[in-house]
Amino acid sequence: MAEAAQNALTARAEALGVRLPPLVVKAERIAATVMQGVHGRRRSGQGDEFWQFRPYLPGDAASRVDWRQSARSDRVFIRETEWEAAQTVALWSARGPGMVWRSRDALPTKQERAELLLLALAALLLRGGERLRAFGAPRAFIGRAALAPLAGFLPEQAVMPADLCLPRHARALLFSDFLAPLEETRAQLAALAAQGLRGHVLQILDPAEETLPFAGHIRFEDPAGGAPAPIPRIEALRGAYQAALARHREGLAALALPLGFSFATHRTDQPPELALLALFQRLEGS
Amino acid sequence: MLTLGPIGFADPWLLLALPALQVLWWLLRVTPPAPKRQIFPPTGILRELQPAEATPARTPWWLLLLRLMVAGLIILGLARPIWQPSAGTGQSGPLLLVLDDGWAATPDWARRMASAQRILEATKREARPVALLTTAPLQGEADPLSFLPAEEAAARLAVLRPKPWVPDRAAALASVMALRAGNPGSFESLFLFDGLDHGAGQDAQAFLAALAAAGPLTLMQAPAEPRRVLAPPILEGDRLRLKLVQAPVALPGQVAILARGGDGASLARVDLALAPGAGSAEATLQLPSEIRNQVVRLELEPEAGAAGVFLLDESFRRRPVGLAAADDTGADAPLIGPLFYLLRALDPFAELRRGTPEALLARRLSVLILADRELADPKEREALDAWVRQGGTLIRFAGPRLAAKPDTLLPVPLRAGERQLGGMLTWEKPQTLAPFPDHSPFAGLIPPAEVTVERQVLAEPSPRLAERSWARLADGTPLVTAEARGAGRIVLFHVTAQAAWSNLPLSGLFVDMLRRLVSLSAGVAAGEPDQPLAPLETLDGFGRLGAPPAGAAPIAARALDEARASPRHPPGWYGPAGAAGEAAHRRALNLSSHLPAPQLIGAPPASARLETLGGEAAERDLGPWLLAAAFALFLLELIAALGLRGLWRPRPFALPVVLLLALVPLQAFAQAADGSAALATRLAYIQTGNAAVDETSLSGLAGLSDFVNRHTAAALAEPHGVTAGQDDLSFYPLLYWPILPDAPAPSATAVAALNEFMRQGGIILMDTRDQGSGEGMSPGARAALRRVTRDLAIPPLIPVPEDHVLNRAFYLLNELPGRFVGGQVWVARDQDRANDSVSPVILGGHDWAAAWAMDRVGQHPHATIPGGVRQRLLAYRFGTNLVMYALTGNYKGDQVHVPAILERLGN
Repeated sequence: MAEAAQNALTARAEALGVRLPPLVVKAERIAATVMQGVHGRRRSGQGDEFWQFRPYLPGDAASRVDWRQSARSDRVFIRETEWEAAQTVALWSARGPGMVWRSRDALPTKQERAELLLLALAALLLRGGERLRAFGAPRAFIGRAALAPLAGFLPEQAVMPADLCLPRHARALLFSDFLAPLEETRAQLAALAAQGLRGHVLQILDPAEETLPFAGHIRFEDPAGGAPAPIPRIEALRGAYQAALARHREGLAALALPLGFSFATHRTDQPPELALLALFQRLEGS
Repeated sequence: MLTLGPIGFADPWLLLALPALQVLWWLLRVTPPAPKRQIFPPTGILRELQPAEATPARTPWWLLLLRLMVAGLIILGLARPIWQPSAGTGQSGPLLLVLDDGWAATPDWARRMASAQRILEATKREARPVALLTTAPLQGEADPLSFLPAEEAAARLAVLRPKPWVPDRAAALASVMALRAGNPGSFESLFLFDGLDHGAGQDAQAFLAALAAAGPLTLMQAPAEPRRVLAPPILEGDRLRLKLVQAPVALPGQVAILARGGDGASLARVDLALAPGAGSAEATLQLPSEIRNQVVRLELEPEAGAAGVFLLDESFRRRPVGLAAADDTGADAPLIGPLFYLLRALDPFAELRRGTPEALLARRLSVLILADRELADPKEREALDAWVRQGGTLIRFAGPRLAAKPDTLLPVPLRAGERQLGGMLTWEKPQTLAPFPDHSPFAGLIPPAEVTVERQVLAEPSPRLAERSWARLADGTPLVTAEARGAGRIVLFHVTAQAAWSNLPLSGLFVDMLRRLVSLSAGVAAGEPDQPLAPLETLDGFGRLGAPPAGAAPIAARALDEARASPRHPPGWYGPAGAAGEAAHRRALNLSSHLPAPQLIGAPPASARLETLGGEAAERDLGPWLLAAAFALFLLELIAALGLRGLWRPRPFALPVVLLLALVPLQAFAQAADGSAALATRLAYIQTGNAAVDETSLSGLAGLSDFVNRHTAAALAEPHGVTAGQDDLSFYPLLYWPILPDAPAPSATAVAALNEFMRQGGIILMDTRDQGSGEGMSPGARAALRRVTRDLAIPPLIPVPEDHVLNRAFYLLNELPGRFVGGQVWVARDQDRANDSVSPVILGGHDWAAAWAMDRVGQHPHATIPGGVRQRLLAYRFGTNLVMYALTGNYKGDQVHVPAILERLGN
């Protein structure tokens, strides 16, 4: 049953990835750079591709002299290769009772949406040959066939800052509702930043969590297990709630930016393509 | 029992719970409705906004009121409130409840029973003993009267039914006397009275006086309920004179008398209007004799119980005719025998016997015809005279013997010898017949010009000769004279019964005259006088036939005519045992035969209190209503409470839907109001002005439209009634036009409209309603047809040919029946290509609309004649063919040519 659901999710994610013509066009245009997982850094360094010859300088190892080139002239040349490196992207989507919630049956839960975006992005990245990491996964996911294992691993993800063996300077993509108190989020992001990770934070919310469309006497219960909040006339609190939510978001953006993370929001009643495109552009731009 | 104004409470102690409502008020006020639960991940944010302690919300005042009302209604409902509880009479002694349950109690029986039950309810609460006395008990049911508990009396009351006979006040008086003798001391009496005298005024007054003497008396009567009796009808020639008698009431009445056949089919209907204060009304029912002979039952509508039903037995039908000639040998010799023409004229419709007058009179006889037979024997003359005075009809024909020896049994004194008109030795010409005078039973017959009289006997001139002449010659001398004698009459034809003196016996007029004379005579019932007749089926008080009650006893045939309906002999059918099924042998005993005209009783005893039956509102238990209201309010409260908690919200689309639903009938109505006839295909009929005929036309066409819609692809809307010249006829494919005998010639504009309608391809179905088996139903319709169609452009007509499209358009038909069958239907002779060869006129007299008609409950109000489901089905099929013919023209005409086409293809 769970396997079938996973397969369905994988299939949907792949379908979503395929269905993105603007992304594909863009991807082809910058094939040599972004879309290719192994791409030149336009700097000399370790790699197989020829980059340039340069005159021998004292201190260079004799083994690096390109004798064929040097024989054509009087000078001795060193053959330099371009520095080539595959990008590693770490993906994380939050799980938990708060994520498995939706206000209407017509909407997906926040977790469904987060995992869908994660896998769609993963499909694109894997097609480009990037290395993907999932938090807590013992090894990287490489190659297009890795999408299904990645989807299968999602339920076993570690809590966010737990994985400390990510490569430095890898990119991190974090999907969650980020409704926890700001200090908790700051601690998590700081731990990631301390490992040298930079990346993007996407806050996924249900529309009801933004608009608070309730009325009457309601006893609100936190699915994560916090104390319930009985409110006699919730409609009177709507403005205040929306202001508080806006403050929370500003706080998130403000704490993410200095730590090297960009911040964006997404609502489950919006089409997932929108968020995917935005994320991909960010990923490409950085 | 606690009484507050018009409301009483049977369990008033429960009202003590009402103060508890105050506690409920307090409890409901402080308890807020439970909040709705909502899982919400950002509860943390809300928690920071929310003050720590929530104050309990107040229940809205209207919700509180609603709940209190629910609780209050439940308490009130359980306390068994009663609307207008009968207070009883406030007395505690025993009560005598007297109930009139004779025939006159039928019209208000339901109210009578309701009042009696109410009274018994009240006495049950007061625990008073009750004696129940009915004034028209069944045979052997009259127990000695005694006081019983009210429950027992109520059980006996519940099985009471009105009886089809006259209440016996004398017996009731004896019962009351016996009760008084057994129970000294006064008791209260309540009399549910039918208000009538029943022809024994002393008994009624004495009975009331006895009740008044026993204690306080209350008379309860129905207000102004007419009590109607259908008096025995009188046969007058071919007419049945009907009479309705009633106790005079101040209001005008409208009554119909229905004539029903043996299978319950209503064959005819006569409407009667009763003026305010009128005691009786009369009407005549004129039907062709064949159809009249099928009538076995006359009844009033609205139903008036057993007194409103009259059963017609054979005495209304059978008329044996005796024939005697001077010389019996050779009396029926072909063409010259004196009885030859009489036998042939009478044989089809009368039972004929031959013999000497003595032998004939030994059996019961309606008519005796003597063809030129002198009555020389005085004893014979006396016997005949007595028979005539008892109601016999003696018809005599003149001849040489009678001319020679006139006797006393003649309507007019005769001159000796006869008169000869036209011959070798006279200048005078043979005389033709003058038109029949109005007082004659032959009125309406048209004497043909070829009937001439050459010889006749002459009457002595006398002042009364004119009124005794039923037929005259053109010169004024009487041809047929008649005299009433006792209950019977003597009729003399001044000519012979064979063609010797005139050619009258050769004409069809002779047959018509004899038929009218025979139908004028009194009917005779069959059966041996001493034979006991057992009750076969008897009427109950409501006028319904059923198995005879246990007490019904056989009655001797001779006593039946004098018998009064009684518990021993309830009204109904009586017949010889063993011949139960044979209608010819059964006799009817009718309640109204010996019923005097209903008369209201004079002043009741002065001490009696008068009350109106059913005038007070019936006692009504309000408890269930209150509990139901409480439940409804509770549901309302539930919805309101759910709405307050946000658990249930009226759907946003519900309101428009409700509004839409409310608007739909309004819109439909608006469409119907301005919808013109052009919007749908529909049939139409021409309004005649006679409400009954128009209603039949409307329901007939509606029934046909329904049949056509169910069986074909045509979709016909409700039929319309139109008036030619006023309405636009061009929307209708088919007009049904019943021709009434009194139909006036249509106006010039109507003629123009109808001609235009026919020219444009419309079809008019004209129906004289008097053809075939309905011959004689609508006398004068043919003359009216001539009058009505004089100016219409009617093409030459022929009888419908076998292969006419009308016979083929949808069903294959051989005949075109309606309510009647067997008549001729006519269509246009020439094929007019302009209108697709469709005949603009279809003319017939089968009363089609009556066959198609269907009333609101889906029954056919008009019986088909001769009858049967098949005939009605064929009538509908003809209607379908007609509609198809009107809608598709001669489209099916090709099928008529199929044999010819096939033949050509074969060649």
